[in-house]
Formats: sequence, structure tokens, C-alpha cells
Amino acid sequence: MASSNASKDFSLEGKSVLVVGAEHSVGRAAAITLAEAGAKIVLASQEPGTDKQLKEVARLVNAAGTKAVIRVQDAAMRADISATADLAARELGGLHILVNALDTPAYGPAEADDDTAFDKIMENNLKTVWMSCQEGARVMLRQGGGAIVNITSVLAERGVANAALYCAAKAAVLNLTRALALEWARKGIRVNAIEAGWLDDESSPANKGDEFSKTLLKYLPDNRLVKPEELGGALLYLVSPAAGFVTGESIAVDGGLRARV
Amino acid sequence: MILDSLKLDGKVAIITGAGRGLGRAMAVKLAEAGADIVAAARTQSQLEETADAVKKTGRKCLIVPTDVTVSAQVNALAATTVKQFGKIDILVNNAGGGDGARGVQLPEITDDQWRRGIDTNLSSQFYGCRAVIPQMVKQNRGKIINIASGFALRGGKHNFMYACAKGGTIQLTRSMALSYAQFNIQTNCIVPGVFPHNEQTMQFYKGGKFIPVGRVGEDSELGPLAVFLASDASNHVNGELIAIDGGGLAGGIAPTGVSPESSN
Repeated sequence: MASSNASKDFSLEGKSVLVVGAEHSVGRAAAITLAEAGAKIVLASQEPGTDKQLKEVARLVNAAGTKAVIRVQDAAMRADISATADLAARELGGLHILVNALDTPAYGPAEADDDTAFDKIMENNLKTVWMSCQEGARVMLRQGGGAIVNITSVLAERGVANAALYCAAKAAVLNLTRALALEWARKGIRVNAIEAGWLDDESSPANKGDEFSKTLLKYLPDNRLVKPEELGGALLYLVSPAAGFVTGESIAVDGGLRARV
Repeated sequence: MILDSLKLDGKVAIITGAGRGLGRAMAVKLAEAGADIVAAARTQSQLEETADAVKKTGRKCLIVPTDVTVSAQVNALAATTVKQFGKIDILVNNAGGGDGARGVQLPEITDDQWRRGIDTNLSSQFYGCRAVIPQMVKQNRGKIINIASGFALRGGKHNFMYACAKGGTIQLTRSMALSYAQFNIQTNCIVPGVFPHNEQTMQFYKGGKFIPVGRVGEDSELGPLAVFLASDASNHVNGELIAIDGGGLAGGIAPTGVSPESSN
């Protein structure tokens, strides 16, 4: 039987990627997926002090057969984000793809959130994404285009109790994605989003074995959480040349949850 | 390995409306990814052209002339596929189209035109889902892709049957997703933007001037999205709509090509 050539449409051979938030589960999985598809990758952290985690991801990227560059940074610092975008262009010969896997889950009662909480949650979940898009696009516009994917959450489109500001930030990322897509549509930059369902990872509130976790599992259409690596198919599709006519769109990877809600 | 999960080797895919346009393009792309194709449409001669294109990829192509508005014929399409290939891995409910009554003022639309528009675009997809689901449940595995339209999400002036039916496609997709998630069957929906198939449509859309990216879509661009949704790479994507429209649905609140003046 002749072997299929699916890999031709989805190959990222020769492409350079910047993954921001690579020390966390979703960013790590994103980097490995894109490396498997052939891309060279700059692994940038969300927070300082994450050298060890980034090195481990770099090892996995190398194991997939491509190059990894580590960049420990604070994604809330404009100067850091800016320098990282330039570093990607310099070290990898361009910046074709930017993946913003920036996320700091924040759950708690609304009446207890003070102004500091507001600033912190918006900074960690929205401002970082905004600055990263700006700085990535600065490099991409210079070279004539690129593809950006912002990883947000199904909470972008529905509320949940005990997470008002987090939901607001996730929604903001989704509509930021649409607006930037329109702004850069004729400049060759595609901007899309992935909405992750309830994840099974270290910062998830859904795998704790508590009442919420147990009740949620029964409620999910296929009774299981999303593994970070399961975002990989949608991510690869969106960043690949095969999605050249797709922009301002988001793909939910949630096992059907959003079809219900 | 992610690229392997996008391969469709050994899979069997039914595609309706496969005689031309987007249906043919998807048939060829699914075949390139490794799937054998069952091509359905009304017109034998067009199906033969699709079969020629599919066979060039090295895959098999079974032609089943089908009127998708007749449920007995859709049931027979599924039965023929199972008889020939022993399974149904993928169904692409693509057949549909203009109802011939777009632009007709509401009081002038006949009952027959209404039913025809709904049957062509929505009942056909319902028949397709209903026909394949027993086999997919038996397999504990399946992928269904329904083709909608931007009119599924937005109304159109004097566009009744098409918009209502395509809106129904989305709800069909969601209910399928929830009903069969536990049988490892994923149902998703592609929302194509403007993919003109004649000069008249091309002129109507002014070559894509009002599409954010500034151009219309090409049939071949739809194929990889169908491959993704037909493959193991989308196993946790279910009940989802994916627009491939050059940014159309992301905006629309202001006309394309202009934007508010900068604030001071």
C-alpha cells in the first residue's frame, strides 16, 4: 500500500517557532508537537527560575530531532518579551510561528478579590498575551507574515463561579485574537486561538479528587479531562500552511463540552 | 507522533456531493492522506471524474449515485459501503447548495421551495448521520464532518431556506457529538467562507475585496481541514465548528477595509 502524504500538508520543516510559557504543561506539549512536525523552537518561559523545566523540554524537542533554544524570561516584562522575539529571529533565522501558552489559573470568590488581584490576574493571563502578540508581530511584519496561536480556555465563552476575573481574562484573549486577526489579515499574519477544555495537568482544579472534580467528570460528554498533548492536532493544523485561509478562528478541544453548554 | 496521527491509511470515507467543487476537493485530499473513498452525488459523469482524480492518488474510489434527499438512497449508500469495505470510518455530509429561491421575497416562497431547501441542506445530513451511526457504534469509532456555511451563524437578506438549514446543521452536529461521544464517534462542522465556483459568484463577492484577508478561498484549501477532522489528531475535538473563511466571522461589526479613526 502506498504511504499517504498527509505529512506534506502539515509539515513544519524549516519553520521557526516561539513557544511562550514552555515550562508549563500546555506549552511543553505544544513545543513537542511542533518539534515532531519538524519545527525549530525557542522555548521561552512565563516566569523566571524555570531553567530546569525548560532544559527538560529542550531535551524532548531534541529527541524529536530538531533544534531548541532556551530563553528564561518574565513574560510580564516588556523588555524580556521584546528581546525574546528578536532572539528567535536571530537564532532560528526568522519567526514563522508564535504560540502563546500563557496561563495562570486563578480561582476564588469575587468578593475577596482586591485591586491587586485584578491587576495580577489580568497581567498574567491577558497582558502577557497582548505583549507577546505585539512583539512577535513586530518581527513577523518585518519578514512578511506568520501565524500566531493563543491558547485560551472554554471559559472564554462561558462563565463559571469562583473565577470571575480569570473568565474575563480568557474571554479577552479570545476577542483579542479576533481583532488582531482582522488588523493583520492583509499583512500576512494569521491569528487564531485554541480553547482548552478542563485539563488534566498540574495546575488544573479538575483532577483533585474533590467534589468538584468528581461531579465534573460525570458531566463531561466523554467523562474525561483533556490531556495537554491532545491540543496538538488543532495547534498543528492552525499553524501549518494548510490553514492559510483560517484566521480569527478558535478551535475548542474539549471532548464536546461546548456543544452542550 | 503527530504527523502519523494525521494519516488516514486504511480508512474508508463516504463523501456526499463528491461530484464537484468542495466535495471533490475533499475526496481527493482524504485519498491523498490514505483513505479509500466512496463518492456519492446525483450525477454519474461527475462522479466518474472524481473517481479518476482519487485513483491517481493510488486509493480506491467506489461511485454510488445518490440523491441525498431520499433517505432510502442514503441508507443504501451506507449499506453498499459496508458491503464493499466492511466498515465506515468517515462520513462527510457535504451535499447541499442553493435552493433556487435565494432572493425570492418571503410571500412568494412556496411550501415546496421551503421543503426542498431544508431537505437538500439539512434533511440530507440527518439522513447521512442516521444511516452510518449503527455501523460506527458497532465499530466503537467514527468521524462525521458536516459542512455548514457562514449563513449558519448569520442571517442573510431574503435567504431563508439555506440559512435555516445550515443553522440546523450546527445543532445537528452538537447533538450528534453529545449523543455519541461515549462511542468514540466525533461529529464536527466545517464552516466554509466564500469558495466561488463560477464567475457570477466571484463577481458577487468582488473577488474577495470584502473578506478580511482580501481574497476568496480555493477548493483545495478545504481538504486539510477535512483531513484533520477525519484523523486521530482530532480525537478530542467534538461538536465543534471550524470556520475557514479568511477572517470573515471574526469581524463583521464594521465593513471590511475601513476602521475607526485613531482616538486622541
